Amino acid sequence: MKYLSIDTTTKVTALALAEDSKVIAEGFLHTNKTHSERLIPMLDQLLLAASWKLSDLDFIGVVRGPGSFTGIRIGIATAEGFAQVLNIPVIGVTSLEALAWAGYGRDEEIVPILDARKNEWYTARFRWSPEDQLECLTQPCAKTHESWLEELKRLDRTVLFVGDAVPHYKDKIIKFLGARARILPDYLSLPRGAYVSCEVWRQWSEKGFSGTVEPYYIRLSEAEVNYAKKEAEDRK
Amino acid sequence: MSLASDNQIIILGIETSCDETSAAVLVNGTELRSHIISSQIATHQKYGGVVPEIASREHILHFQKVVQEAFTEAQVGFNHLSAIAVTYGPGLVGSLLVGVAGAKAIAYAAGIPLIGINHLEGHIYANFLTHQDLTFPLLALLVSGGHTHLIYFEDHGRYTVLGRTRDDAAGEALDKVARALGLGYPGGPQIQKAGQTGDPAAFDFPRAMLEPDSLDFSFSGMKSAVLNTLNSARMKNQTLKTEDLAASFQQAVVDVLVRKSVLALERTDAKILLLAGGVAANTLLRETLEFELVKRGVGLYYPPPVLCTDNAAMIATAGYYHYLAKDFAPWTLNAVPGLSF
Ligand SMILES: [Zn+2]
Repeated sequence: MKYLSIDTTTKVTALALAEDSKVIAEGFLHTNKTHSERLIPMLDQLLLAASWKLSDLDFIGVVRGPGSFTGIRIGIATAEGFAQVLNIPVIGVTSLEALAWAGYGRDEEIVPILDARKNEWYTARFRWSPEDQLECLTQPCAKTHESWLEELKRLDRTVLFVGDAVPHYKDKIIKFLGARARILPDYLSLPRGAYVSCEVWRQWSEKGFSGTVEPYYIRLSEAEVNYAKKEAEDRK
Repeated sequence: MSLASDNQIIILGIETSCDETSAAVLVNGTELRSHIISSQIATHQKYGGVVPEIASREHILHFQKVVQEAFTEAQVGFNHLSAIAVTYGPGLVGSLLVGVAGAKAIAYAAGIPLIGINHLEGHIYANFLTHQDLTFPLLALLVSGGHTHLIYFEDHGRYTVLGRTRDDAAGEALDKVARALGLGYPGGPQIQKAGQTGDPAAFDFPRAMLEPDSLDFSFSGMKSAVLNTLNSARMKNQTLKTEDLAASFQQAVVDVLVRKSVLALERTDAKILLLAGGVAANTLLRETLEFELVKRGVGLYYPPPVLCTDNAAMIATAGYYHYLAKDFAPWTLNAVPGLSF
């Protein structure tokens, strides 16, 4: 099975072409340009380099969040556009699951942290079982930096941090967790096409096509939050 | 089954700049095969206006379905398309990006050119879809919630902006006054409705004409005059008739739009005025323009109401003329929320 994986949920545009479990070509752009400007030209180059045509694809994998709201939508709109023309399925994975592959096979707990602004991260806890199965220990959520680090500190386990928030918050993480914190170099910690590809292949092999892909924002829009607050107050 | 043949130019138009998700299939510039509009007005109503993040979320939920319906209804497939035309600005950046990303992916996968369309130009081109007898040079008056422009067209793709608003757009002023009068959103149609039973001469609101030779507009001061009238009445515990206020304000806005249009026509050789944008659906504006233009031997054209609000048919129509000029966009096309003429 040939497939394309797309991740545009952070400032990195990450793509991969893969055949079953084998990654054939990977694209990673962490420049100051937008996803709009980078995505199709990068894909075009990858296809050329791999001597693939877009029409060779059997399905498309896309990261559906959490992350930048706009980025989530660019990824899904692109994946669905391809899928519509080629008449192939799309499968969605979360950014956090994909990042867990940065810590494949390690003993530590894997904790992806993605910049969610407002002093928060999108995060969850994962573990690779002795049988190399990815286990999700908590539901993905948005947490303030301090409360999440406190929570991890109380668990008293060694934690491998991955994700786009790691380069900015290294010092803070070490301040809270000391030697219990493990940090990877940036290039391994940021979203990568290969990570997405691994997770897409894992889910595709286990479940196959599972219906339409919906954005996974975790958060409501600000207007909805404020409206709900106002309604609750009015009821009092 | 396919109704498409080799010598046809078939454009898929896509529009997601604000709160309508729309797709249309247009054949040879005038034959509208399908036109799907998924409106979000109901979703935004409780917030009193369009909420950008909610608009973007609605677009991504409906985009694929809207495009699919456009194809099904048109009875054409992706392989019949000549090009895809998409609005890339102005508008809400998150909303625009859904359409731009989706359009690019479809164009790339189908191996056809991508065309980036300025939404404002799209509004004016709604006229080329419904009227086949338009000849250049012509003048266009674009009036909507976000824009008020007077544009002189020498030919397709060759135009000069003669005047634009320096503050509020005409539609924006109508929206704000409608809200102050408790008439709700969207404001233009509400003002028109309330004004029907009101006296347009009850209040003498100012007509801002700016410098004598200027073709620019200014509606902010006119809007403030209404708000001030409301406030001082409130202080004096007087109640004013909403219908009269609505009718008088509408009359003031229309007077300015018509006077500036006439001024622009007198200065150019245009024998046609194209009316476009959401406010083009306003009956008083149309009737007043018609009255003034007939005297001067100038033809007035405007699209049917469904093509006055945001829609993909107008984008496909503009796209058709860009296609003829081989004016295609690169794969790096980005949304430009502040795009102007
Ligand atoms: Zn518009």
